[in-house]
Amino acid sequence: MLLSVRDLHVSYGNIHAVHGVSFEVEEGEIVTLIGANGAGKSTILNTVAGLQAPDSGAIEFKGASIAGRSAHDVVKLGLALVPEGRRIFGNLTVYENLRLAGFQLDAAELSRRIERVYGYFPRLQERRGQLGDTLSGGEQQMLAVGRALVTGGNCMLLDEPSMGLAPLLVQQIFEILAEINREGVTILLVEQNAHMALKLANRGYVLETGNIVLAGASRELAQSPDVQRAYLGG
Amino acid sequence: MDLTFFVQQLFNALQLGSLYALIALGYTMVYGVLLLINFAHGDIFMVGAFLGVFASMVLGLPFVAALIVSMLLTGLLGVTIERVAYKPLRHASRLSVVITALGVGLLLENGMLALTGADPRSYPEGFINTTSFSIAGVNLTSVKIIIIVLAFVLFFGLYAIVQRTKWGMAMRAISYDKFAVPLMGVSQNQIISLTFLLGASLAAAGGILWGTAFPVLSPYMGLRVGWKAFIAAVVGGIGDIRGAMLGGLLLGFIEIYTVAYGKDIGITSTWRDPIVFGLLLIILVVRPTGLFGVARRQKV
Repeated sequence: MLLSVRDLHVSYGNIHAVHGVSFEVEEGEIVTLIGANGAGKSTILNTVAGLQAPDSGAIEFKGASIAGRSAHDVVKLGLALVPEGRRIFGNLTVYENLRLAGFQLDAAELSRRIERVYGYFPRLQERRGQLGDTLSGGEQQMLAVGRALVTGGNCMLLDEPSMGLAPLLVQQIFEILAEINREGVTILLVEQNAHMALKLANRGYVLETGNIVLAGASRELAQSPDVQRAYLGG
Repeated sequence: MDLTFFVQQLFNALQLGSLYALIALGYTMVYGVLLLINFAHGDIFMVGAFLGVFASMVLGLPFVAALIVSMLLTGLLGVTIERVAYKPLRHASRLSVVITALGVGLLLENGMLALTGADPRSYPEGFINTTSFSIAGVNLTSVKIIIIVLAFVLFFGLYAIVQRTKWGMAMRAISYDKFAVPLMGVSQNQIISLTFLLGASLAAAGGILWGTAFPVLSPYMGLRVGWKAFIAAVVGGIGDIRGAMLGGLLLGFIEIYTVAYGKDIGITSTWRDPIVFGLLLIILVVRPTGLFGVARRQKV
């Protein structure tokens, strides 16, 4: 088991956002967490990535407990979060954003990884000297995924990568995510766009107000009447 | 107009302005990464000047060695102040941190007063080369030249660190969006410490150079100079190191030339500060974010 979360509870101040959630991600899988706004999806990802401390529960990555570890340590283990809203550094160039993600690397490894990112996203190479602020939403999302790849993440957590993007761009980004996955990166994907997410993922979990209410293979979830009614507009 | 006199004042303005600039850089860097006005920074400048005195008087170090020792120790003092006094308040209200910074300043002033007594100090004879010479009627001293050159060298060194190194990239990244920095595998605390290290050691350089130009050191010397450098940073656009440099130089120029030419039109030198700050206020009215500043965009 690459990533396993058991009985996770998280709160912000007085708000109990995640109520005992458990899920697992196997090496090489694409797993999605779907659910409405406020279901606790982002909170779960932020907690796994170390940005938020859990109240209780276990988080194990590659067999080691990472619950409560600080985010910059978790990254070094190979777990990379592509945060909601992309959060790229608008005052840094495309190259500098990638360079910063490779903070721990020596020059040779850094340039090898950046070349790999340029291979997936040639657009980033064209724009490498441009400031992050001047990129389109789609390019920013590519850069956010690119940064996660440079940190060396072999398990990537993605928080709403489709947010604010035109359908065609979402399609492109999801195709590249599938390719990245084929080359060995495990993906945990949080999406409001349940349709796209279930098409890409092998398995999924459905979250409602901080609880997992359904779990199963993507195809089964996509055909479940509950999921269709609530998330697929059917 | 008397050109010789004008050029003479130009060097005075560059000297004073580059001293303000060295201090203003620390204010602006700390603000950039923490959005904190480090009101103890003027007193850190004072400590740097005094550490220079100790290094030269007690250890008998020459100028360059004393400068390096003081910059290192003062840098560590800056890091320690952040760790002990500001870090525990990282999530507290901004007001609490500002009041703490004022408290740290008082501690440094009065601590130094208790340690050294109230007699003003100065650097020993021969600490720095004080040759005077004259080029085309303009009187210069080696001290003046050293101060100006060193200030610019330190500024460009800092600029290179901020623009070219991964550490500098991390500093700029924090000033844009703290949230995502740890996701890059970068420890925020390390970068914040580095910022205080650099800012405080530049203030120490400023302190020693100030002490060689105006050789009366007192534990309260950081108050006035600190305020002025802070204002220079704001006028330049706080958070931007080019702005701090420009703001410092601008302040030096306005001060020197107000005094130099004011008396011709009946303005005595006591009017220096009201005129300086009046002009700076006008700049801020026209450009509220300062010369280099950009308004912080609210990010969604």
